[in-house]
Amino acid sequence: MAPVTSRDVASRLSKRLANFKLSDAVINGLADRVMIEGLSIIRFNPCIYGICFEYHAEKMPRLDALQPKSGIYKLEVFPLGIIDWDRYLVRVAFNVDELEGKGLSRDLND
Amino acid sequence: MACLHCYSESSPAQRAALDPIVLCDALRILRTEGYQAVSLSGGEPLVYADLRTVIKSARAMGFRVTMISNGLLVTERFADVLSLLDGIAISFDGLAASHNAMRGRADAFDRASAGLERLAAWGLPAAAAISLTRDAIPDLPDLADHLVGLGARALQIRPVAVAGRARSLAAPAVYHTADYVRLYLVVLALQQELPADIRINCDLAPAQGLWQQREAYAGLLRDRATLPLDAGPLADLVNPLVITETGVVKPIAYDFDRRFDIFSSLDSLSPDTIKDYKQRRLHGLQRLVGDALAGLRSRHDVVDWFDQCTRLSQQSSIAWPVAG
Repeated sequence: MAPVTSRDVASRLSKRLANFKLSDAVINGLADRVMIEGLSIIRFNPCIYGICFEYHAEKMPRLDALQPKSGIYKLEVFPLGIIDWDRYLVRVAFNVDELEGKGLSRDLND
Repeated sequence: MACLHCYSESSPAQRAALDPIVLCDALRILRTEGYQAVSLSGGEPLVYADLRTVIKSARAMGFRVTMISNGLLVTERFADVLSLLDGIAISFDGLAASHNAMRGRADAFDRASAGLERLAAWGLPAAAAISLTRDAIPDLPDLADHLVGLGARALQIRPVAVAGRARSLAAPAVYHTADYVRLYLVVLALQQELPADIRINCDLAPAQGLWQQREAYAGLLRDRATLPLDAGPLADLVNPLVITETGVVKPIAYDFDRRFDIFSSLDSLSPDTIKDYKQRRLHGLQRLVGDALAGLRSRHDVVDWFDQCTRLSQQSSIAWPVAG
C-alpha cells in the first residue's frame, strides 16, 4: 500500500471543509479559537488532537491572549533565533471533536 | 455574456466605453500620483476596440498592466495583444456546471479552460481569478487541481460580493459568517496541498491580521492637523482606485457608494482637482476607513476587507461633499 503523504491528508481536509462536512457551528467555533491576536496563520493540519495550527509571530507571543481560548491541548513556541531574531514559530493543537483522530500526522508529540 | 453575479452588470447590450485618449491622459496623471499598476477588467476587456493602445501607453508610462478575461476570446487573433500584458487571469466561477450556469452558456467552462491552457502554452503569465458563490465552495479543491493542470501559475480566490446582478442570487448562493471562514480555511489547506510554486491568494483575511496591519493606512489616517492630506501622492491615500466604464473615478471598489466618488467623469481629473479632492473631500473616506478599521479590533472572524468598506459606504447616513 502506498504511504499516505501529508499532501493526501491536507487534500482530504480541504475537501472535508469545502463539502460542508464540518457544520457552521464547528467552523465558527474553530475560527473564534484559531484567530489569535498577534499571530499569523501559516499552515494547519489534522492531528491526533483534532487540528494543529502553526503561526508566525513578529515578537514574543502574548500567551495571555491564548488563555480565553478553549480546547487548546498543547502549545509550543520556537524562537527562530539566528535565522530571524525577531520571529517566533508557534504551534497550537486544538481539540475538534469532528476531526479528532482522523488526521494521520502528529505534529505535536506527547 | 451577462453573468448572474456580475458586479458591474455588464452584458453584450451595453455599449459604454471609455475614450482611449481621455483614459490615457488620466493614467498619465495617476502615474504621477504614485499608482504603479493597472488591472483591466470588464465586461470583457478583449472586446474593447482600443485595448492595444491603452496597454501600450500604460506600459510606456511605467505601469504594470494585468487583465481579467472570461477567456472566450483568448485565441490566436489576440495573441499579440495578450503578449503585451504582465499578467492575465481567466475568470472561473466553479466547475463546469456552476460556471456554465453562472455564465448562461453551456460551453463557457470549456472555452475558458481552453483559453487558460493556450495562454500557458504560449508561455504567458497565466492565472485564474476564481469567484465563488457559497454553493460553489465544494467545487474549489477540484477546480484548483484542474486549473493548475492547465498551466495556471496563480489562483486568486474571492467570495462573490453582493453587488450588481449578484443581489438577485438565490439564498444558497449567499454567504453567511461561517462561509467566509470556511472558504478561508479551504484556501489555507490548498496552499499546503498544491505545488509550492503556485501562488494562491484569497481576498479574505482574519480580522485580527488586518488590524495588526493597520499601519498600511497610516497615510490616509494621519492627523490632518499635523500633516495635511495633500502632502503626499493620492496612491498613498486611496488605493485601489476604480475607473468605471462611464469614467467615474471611485475609491476601493466598483460599487462603493456614489457619495464617495472621487470624480464623476475622467474629464475632470487633473492635478488641481486631485489636490482639491485631498483638501476638501477626502475626509469622508478617511472617517469611513478609520471606522472600518476600528471595527476589526474586537473581531475574531474572517473579513473581505474591501467588501467590508464598500458595505459600510452604503450604510453611511452622512452626506459627504459630492464628486467634482
